[in-house]
Amino acid sequence: MKAKLLFAFLLLISFTGFGQSVQIRGTVTDVDEVPFPGVSFLIQGTTTGGTSDFDGNFVLDVEIGQTIIFSYLGYLTNEIVVKNDQFLNVIMQEDTQSLEEVVIIGYGSQKVSKVSGAVTSVSEKTIESMTPVRTEDALQGNAAGVTVIQSGSPGATPTVLVRGIPSYFGTSPLVVIDGTMQSLDDLNALNPSDIKSLTVLKDASMTAIYGVKGGNGVIVVTTKSGSRNSKTKYSFDAYYGIQEVDKTIDVLNATEYAAILNEASVNSGGDLVFPDISQFGEGTDWQNEVLTAAPIQNYNFTASGGSETSNFFVSAGYLSQEGVVFGGDKSYFDRINLTTNYTTDLNDDLKLIVNTSYANIQNSGLPENSITSVLSNALNFDPTLPVYDENGNYSTSSTITQEIVNPLAQISNNYNENETNKLWGKLELQQDFTDNFGVTARYGYTYVDISQKSFNPLAYYGAGHNATTMNADGTPIFGTDENGEQIQLNNNSVSESKTNYFSFNFESFANWDFKIGENNNFQTVAGFALAKNSGSSVGGSAQDVPFNSWDYADISSATGDVKSQSVYSWQYVTRNISYFARVNYDFNDRLLLSFAGRIDGSTNFGANNKYAFFPSGSVGYILTGDESNSFLKIRGSAGTVGNDNISPQFATITTFPKYTFDGQIITGSALQGIPNDDVSWEKQLQVNVGFDARLFGDRVSIIADYYQKNVDDLLFNPTLSLYLGTPVYPAANIGSTKSNGLDLTVGYNDTFGEEFHFNTNFNVTTSKNMVTAINNGDKFIWGGGYGIPYKTLVRFEEGYAPGYFYGYKTDGVFQSQDEIDAHATQDGAQPGDIRYVDVNGDGIVDDNDRTDIGNPFPRFTVGWNFSMNFKGFDLAANTYASIGSSIYRAYERNLNYTNRAGQTLNRWTGPGTSNSEPRVTFIDTNNNLRPSDRYVEDGDYIRITNLQLGYSLGADSVENIGFSQIRFYAQAKNALTLTNYTGYTPEISGGVMDSGVDRGAYPQPRIWSLGVNLKF
Amino acid sequence: MKKIKNIFLVGLFSFGLSSCDWVDFDPIESHTITADVYFYTAADYEAAVVGAYDPLQWLNAQHLMMEIASDNTVSGGESATDVIAFQEVDMMTHYPENDQLTNLWKFMYEGINRTNYLAENKDKIEFDGKEELFGEVYFLRAYYYFDLVRLFGGVPLFTEARLTAPDSGTLQRATTAEVYAQIEADLQAAIAVLPSVSGNNQNGRANRVAAQALLGKVYLYQDKFSDAASMLENVIGTRVLLDDYASQFLREGENGLESIFEVQHSDQSVWWDWGYNPQGTEGNFGIIHMGPRAYSGPLFASGWSFNLPVQVLFDSYEDGDQRRDATILNMETWKADNDADYTPAYKDTGFFNLKYIPRAGYSETGQTELNYLNNWRIIRYSDVLLMAAEAYNRGAIDDSKAQLYLNMVRQRAFQDTDHDVSLTGSALTEAIWNERNFELALEGHRFFDLVRTGKAAEKIDGFTTGKNELFPIPQQEVDISNLEQNPGY
Repeated sequence: MKAKLLFAFLLLISFTGFGQSVQIRGTVTDVDEVPFPGVSFLIQGTTTGGTSDFDGNFVLDVEIGQTIIFSYLGYLTNEIVVKNDQFLNVIMQEDTQSLEEVVIIGYGSQKVSKVSGAVTSVSEKTIESMTPVRTEDALQGNAAGVTVIQSGSPGATPTVLVRGIPSYFGTSPLVVIDGTMQSLDDLNALNPSDIKSLTVLKDASMTAIYGVKGGNGVIVVTTKSGSRNSKTKYSFDAYYGIQEVDKTIDVLNATEYAAILNEASVNSGGDLVFPDISQFGEGTDWQNEVLTAAPIQNYNFTASGGSETSNFFVSAGYLSQEGVVFGGDKSYFDRINLTTNYTTDLNDDLKLIVNTSYANIQNSGLPENSITSVLSNALNFDPTLPVYDENGNYSTSSTITQEIVNPLAQISNNYNENETNKLWGKLELQQDFTDNFGVTARYGYTYVDISQKSFNPLAYYGAGHNATTMNADGTPIFGTDENGEQIQLNNNSVSESKTNYFSFNFESFANWDFKIGENNNFQTVAGFALAKNSGSSVGGSAQDVPFNSWDYADISSATGDVKSQSVYSWQYVTRNISYFARVNYDFNDRLLLSFAGRIDGSTNFGANNKYAFFPSGSVGYILTGDESNSFLKIRGSAGTVGNDNISPQFATITTFPKYTFDGQIITGSALQGIPNDDVSWEKQLQVNVGFDARLFGDRVSIIADYYQKNVDDLLFNPTLSLYLGTPVYPAANIGSTKSNGLDLTVGYNDTFGEEFHFNTNFNVTTSKNMVTAINNGDKFIWGGGYGIPYKTLVRFEEGYAPGYFYGYKTDGVFQSQDEIDAHATQDGAQPGDIRYVDVNGDGIVDDNDRTDIGNPFPRFTVGWNFSMNFKGFDLAANTYASIGSSIYRAYERNLNYTNRAGQTLNRWTGPGTSNSEPRVTFIDTNNNLRPSDRYVEDGDYIRITNLQLGYSLGADSVENIGFSQIRFYAQAKNALTLTNYTGYTPEISGGVMDSGVDRGAYPQPRIWSLGVNLKF
Repeated sequence: MKKIKNIFLVGLFSFGLSSCDWVDFDPIESHTITADVYFYTAADYEAAVVGAYDPLQWLNAQHLMMEIASDNTVSGGESATDVIAFQEVDMMTHYPENDQLTNLWKFMYEGINRTNYLAENKDKIEFDGKEELFGEVYFLRAYYYFDLVRLFGGVPLFTEARLTAPDSGTLQRATTAEVYAQIEADLQAAIAVLPSVSGNNQNGRANRVAAQALLGKVYLYQDKFSDAASMLENVIGTRVLLDDYASQFLREGENGLESIFEVQHSDQSVWWDWGYNPQGTEGNFGIIHMGPRAYSGPLFASGWSFNLPVQVLFDSYEDGDQRRDATILNMETWKADNDADYTPAYKDTGFFNLKYIPRAGYSETGQTELNYLNNWRIIRYSDVLLMAAEAYNRGAIDDSKAQLYLNMVRQRAFQDTDHDVSLTGSALTEAIWNERNFELALEGHRFFDLVRTGKAAEKIDGFTTGKNELFPIPQQEVDISNLEQNPGY
């Protein structure tokens, strides 16, 4: 009874004592009209308030005339007086004095000020100013802790390392696109202009929530979305550019080539090869013949907007890039992107998010980064020959009869086409039980379908050349067998394959944010995840394509008999199950604690080791708060992350072995895989310490981190005793590695007067990697090699950096027989030959004297980025430096009659003439060509990766014609590279076990482009 | 009510995705055959035996290298750095790192492991013909161990089972005598069960005659002359010598009347992979090595000009010996007579190995360099006759029988009896040894013959007595398995 009375009384007061009470709804967005969750609001003079939800929406009972205060750290406080009950659009403006922002982390987001782990973000603005062709381009030099080694080949995946190389199996970071796990390779299908932000999670406290997938860091990609209650906005962006190779490799011209060959022949007791060298002049510059200025063009159209209960973002993009090696229909990468991101409220508390992206990629390529690549042919082919012979056919060499051919003839015979159709995205339900407690269920998927076709026609490269498969007049080559019968010796062939990959992950998790008392703030998440990755392929080949023509190149039209046809297929599947949780705690925004952990189960391990637990924790303390002009936070974290990149362990029987009885091929069998039942997860222990500081009224910001990663149970395929034969060796946990380094970012921004804004950022990434133990056998495994005959070069070995170059050390050139006699025994050496160092001091120069001659990975990289705005003009510049890497020059074929490097002119011709270049000879008894530091070059470089100058038309004039922005820009990518490397590009990507070996790698082009950005 | 509906929606979304055996993996999911389901039908055993023959096809480098190492040929190739392994062996400067020797070691042991895997599973089921099938298995194991012991001396010896990962590094070298004892035991076991003609009448399968010939050879290598003579006597009369010596090295001559055991190859497989070579091809990868570079002209095809016969070998043949022009192609006369041409390369001698030269039409499908159909002639009847002659002579058993067998070979070579030999004692021994090279040159016997007859140091430039009789144990194996290296390396 009492209570009822009280209620009635309160009701009365509320009607009579104050003004009219209304329920007001609204949305908080940032200046780009992107929804802004977590913004605090409070009715002035009361304790009534709340925070905006995931979509920036809020509902509040308020009275007309009251003032609502919206606040968010790092943003200017926004005070709004309530005048009526109409929908309120609240726009939060960034406090440019503050760098405060929110980062997307695993299964949630967090204010930067409260992060106690190591993360790096790249903003939409940075991505826009770089207009990256591939997403990773935007990380190079912009994200401390991330090393990117790009490939110049259109569409190719670069080498990306987040904080060093702790593993042997798999070193690429995990890529998470809108919560869906993908891989680095998937970034070739993503349209960079759909990206809102890139966040790189670097230490264990950040990545442990991804458990076994997080061992190599995580790149979190968030794509754009529309905003609620906004008119539909459109944008159109386009650029057109020309790509060019800014440097060619110094090889001998025709006259030099002829003179050197004469000398080599005479030195080996032969006659002059070219009695009259005066006829040749410069000859043909084959590099000039195959390299071209190639166009690149990109168009994007987007529309975004939303109603009260839904928002959307759709985009369509088209990228077309031709290769600088010949280009045209022989070397190109074309991509169409269609993206729809749609969010709708199914009811007040339940939200549906559907993100769907489609990509279509068509590409064709020429052989690259091998001794039979187009560039290798251009560098090694005979410069005395014209492009075309007197009959108008591609010229051929009578002296170069293996591998190396006229590069233009090679290109004309190279046919392949690949088409990729890819669909990926997510379906997500978000249920808000209260403002602070919600459950998310998410189904992410990626489906890829790849069709490939290649045609290997009959080709003519000269009489007797080992690649020649038809006569010069296009007729097939017939031979006469012992019965005098005519038989066709070669056949053309066509190969086709269809490959598809399907992966999905299902995740369900709950987020609960709460307070205990005034100052104990908790942000928690817990959930589980299921993931499946599968792939399958089927392919075949057939011979005798009609008319030896690409037009008819298809298995269905090939006429070869059944015996000449072949088919294959393969498939795989892996599955993971995971349970994860994280608690972020802060005490009064001062003391920060975070604990995260994940239990992972994997199909790749046996019953004894099915599951592993990856825990982590971090702590941070903010020494000075935002009242003063400076800010300092110290941080530390530790935890474990893992690696399961092995295959399931079974004793498998292969039916590949075959033998011939009675002239018939009979299929046999053999034991192939031998299992290791004890193999277990590789776990990395990671430790990180660092600090964030802002000084001088937030004009200067510093983020510094030191990290260390230790692996004690390295997964590795050890080489077992050779008397086991040739089985597939099982993986074992038999090694340890150690990586450490420093990430440092220093930023400075300032405004002079009203109109001049200036922002610069300097970042340094260092990493030192060491394989500390391999507890088995010969303690190393070979990686990439090169050349014909094949020479092994790269090693992963105990006591050395992963992927180092292994070869002989040289010590100049023997000037005389006396020097040879005084040196350790070196079989076949003559005056003028390379002197190799007897490293082990046993008096004999042999294979045991090979040693560490270089490391392809930089000791440190530096990015320096700069942007400024003045009135309508904006300028952005990005530079990148890579220091301490080596490159191995492996594009020289070194046949007697192939062309040679320019430095051959400095060869030894007698005592005292040269101490670096050996004598030229056709009979190299000393094997001057063996893998040695002769071929190792300094790979250091500094490059201006991006220069962009833009001009935006004045807002007034633009708005008059219905636009909100019209901007034009001119851009130069890779504008200038300073390096001592003699090859095209000091960036040779290829994974950990093949980076830095330049077999004629695709050059990184310089790109000049003009573009336009329209918003309306 | 609304909340319940929402929970239902979210719950429905996740329904059925949680499963407790989600991370268990059954190899059937990727259609993989495992050892658990194998050796339950006779066909499994038959397939595994085919698999045990397979490594025979991978040993082609041996057939080249044992000539290059001898006085018969030089390395050749494109240049002094083309296939360093061959160049080193030519100069007798080979190191334990020699990659061709390392591969031979691995491939021979793969053969042994495949035969052992069959032995390990022998008793799983019974079926008709099982014993005969295992006769082939024992023959193959003996074959691989015999090559190993000839090349490397006493090697790790195991016969119970295929080795698995925990066995790595646990074995040491057996003595040469122990290895030979095992070879003899395997061949005796094979002879006891093998039929006299190849199983299923399939050419290429080991039969009793092949096992007897190989055992006779094994005895001879150990100077067990009376055992050798009586064992080889079993073979004599089972084959005939063809009048046309050259014909047996052509396609039509494969598995012919004179043939006892050949490693089989076929040009019918279109699958190939340069990176999985020679294991991936059914063709004979050795053949392309021995062709003239940039050849144009009839009958032959281009190759890589390795393993070039030397003038001394060419000149060593007597006038009227049909074997010289069937063994060695004299390129200068061939060019002149047939409007042919080629590019001389490193260490060019003007001569090529006509027994195994790439012939037009012998590789028509797939990657033609890898796909020559030529079989390696491992044991021919004339070899057996000469081995028997040597055993009778050196064992002081019966020189007249030795003369008889020697002269059978010579009569075929000259197609007359005017060249018959009537020497006895050590002069006859010399004549038999010389005859072996006339008859068998460039077939891969020469180096072993020079070593076992003590003539290597005299004939081979750079040969170091006490060292070069054996090749070095691969350095990788020494490092991983801690095996003792052969003397001098």
